[in-house]
Amino acid sequence: MLSTLRLAWRNAARNPRRTGVVIAAVAIGMAGTLVSMAIFYGMMFQMVDNAIKTDLGHVQIHASGYDADPEIGLFLASGAAPERRAVASDPAVRASSIRIRGEGLVTSPSASVGVRVIGVDPEDERSISMVGDAIVTGAYFGKRRTAVIGEGLARRLGVEVGNKIVISVQDLAGDMTGESLRVGGIFRTPSAQLDRGTLFVSLTDAASLFGMNDAVTEVVIVAHSRDEVPALQARLAAALPGREIERWDEIEPVLASILTVMDQIAWGLYLTIFIAMSFGIANVLMMAIFERIREFGILLAVGLSRRRLFALVVGESLMVTGVGMLIGFGLAGLFLFALSDGIDMSGFAEGLGAFGIGTHIVPVLTRNDFTIPAVVALATALVASAWPAIRAVRLRPAEAVRHD
Amino acid sequence: MTILEAQDVSKTYETRGVETRALEGIDLVVDEGEFTALAGPSGSGKTTLLNLLGALDDPSSGQVRLDGENLADLAPAQLSELRLRKLGFIFQAYNLIPVFSAAENVEFVMELQGVPAAERRKRATELLAQVELEGLGDKRPLEMSGGQQQRVAVARALASRPRIILADEPTANLDSKTAIRLLDLMVGLNREGGTTFLFSSHDPLVLERARRRVWLRDGGIDRIEEGATA
Repeated sequence: MLSTLRLAWRNAARNPRRTGVVIAAVAIGMAGTLVSMAIFYGMMFQMVDNAIKTDLGHVQIHASGYDADPEIGLFLASGAAPERRAVASDPAVRASSIRIRGEGLVTSPSASVGVRVIGVDPEDERSISMVGDAIVTGAYFGKRRTAVIGEGLARRLGVEVGNKIVISVQDLAGDMTGESLRVGGIFRTPSAQLDRGTLFVSLTDAASLFGMNDAVTEVVIVAHSRDEVPALQARLAAALPGREIERWDEIEPVLASILTVMDQIAWGLYLTIFIAMSFGIANVLMMAIFERIREFGILLAVGLSRRRLFALVVGESLMVTGVGMLIGFGLAGLFLFALSDGIDMSGFAEGLGAFGIGTHIVPVLTRNDFTIPAVVALATALVASAWPAIRAVRLRPAEAVRHD
Repeated sequence: MTILEAQDVSKTYETRGVETRALEGIDLVVDEGEFTALAGPSGSGKTTLLNLLGALDDPSSGQVRLDGENLADLAPAQLSELRLRKLGFIFQAYNLIPVFSAAENVEFVMELQGVPAAERRKRATELLAQVELEGLGDKRPLEMSGGQQQRVAVARALASRPRIILADEPTANLDSKTAIRLLDLMVGLNREGGTTFLFSSHDPLVLERARRRVWLRDGGIDRIEEGATA
């Protein structure tokens, strides 16, 4: 087998220009695809991460029925004390926070805007959300009876830090109620949706506004890693019967499906590129076969089995593709190393913000992202070489040894 | 002891619906230790017969037997195995593997046979010495003269320790001096080592050394002459 492999390798090296063209095509195709996918994955992961770090967390606990009808009447009593105890004792939990979430209308002297009103414990919230670190003007609950709003909402309302706004909500009893607060801080996150439509108040102010006393609507949990989330969910579900324990991808299934779609797009992209490439590989191999008919005749005459001749031709294709693939990996690695500080995409800020993506994209590739194109490339090489290999093994040795 | 036997062998080629009879009703027996030549003018069927006897082609009718085994009964994989273990080939155009060195060309057949690396290296060195190519094992075919390449082909044919070596016009591309050296080498291998040779040739240098000459004409055996003339 060693000689067959050596023969395959030397044959591949016999025509350096032709082999070089195939290697270059595979390498450039591979590198280009990997870099493109790394940037796309970087954007998509950032979108998911941003959603988790601004609002979703990894897991949320609600009263039963909240997912179908998220209203403040479905609350967790006593400041969600039992839930928080269960959460605190779980080793997978990095941080957690309680919230009151409701709908409301915020009014300034120049506009009224429908918003999500979220009451938070500022200290706990900082450990699970990036909003506290995203303040561009003012402070994150630096003073009592202040609201923290997004830059987009501030623009819609025409307000600045220190201006007064009025929040109107329907309280727990079903009565319309309102309170006047000052804008204490304005934040800017990668999520345009959050910035334009969310108003944060302190948990105390929210409880007063919604008439919740010590009740809250949710416990938001951030795990040490995303991989631990399913097990964490299962443990909490066992510990807290009658509560809705939902993962981030169950709360926002669209986000999860985007990642799935990205994987499918990656497969499609790899397949398209390598199927196109396979015609080139097959063509080069066919040329190589026609040039070496006599040599194949000799090999058959001296006793090489047709199975090994098939392996020889396929082996050449796999070797050439394999070398191109490794060079492609290397090139992609160099590009990604050069881009490891991230890519500034400020020019697309508005469009990216609509999807909750920031303007600083760090390309992301996991080991799997190398596996898929490697499998596709080698499978393509195998398929592309099958036809030339079949042609080679069908040669009649008596004719082949006399071929000019 | 009989090695090869052709029984009423015929071969017909068909090109664009036109049938050409290359061989008809050939009966031939080749015994162990022979140094025999298939002789005759171009188109007489020498190479076709050699290809049939060497399991490189199938007869249209009749049987070819190697060590009593009918080649028509063998599957393609078995024919490959038979060519690997029982037959050695020397071709007119040397037909070495160009990307392998002389030693690698000789070793290749042994590797296909599963001979361990150390042993095949040793045997390749010995065989190259036997064909007077000591020290040239690392040379590639294109770095060697025609005569040297044909000697490598002889060493390769011997490497598998075959029952018989089939040589198709082995001297056709060589000058007479080189051809004589090569043929003397083969005569020596036949006389001293007992290696059986079957040639296809119209070269007088080959024919005068052959101890039996099977003359072919128009696809049939015309006459058989016994005894070397050189």
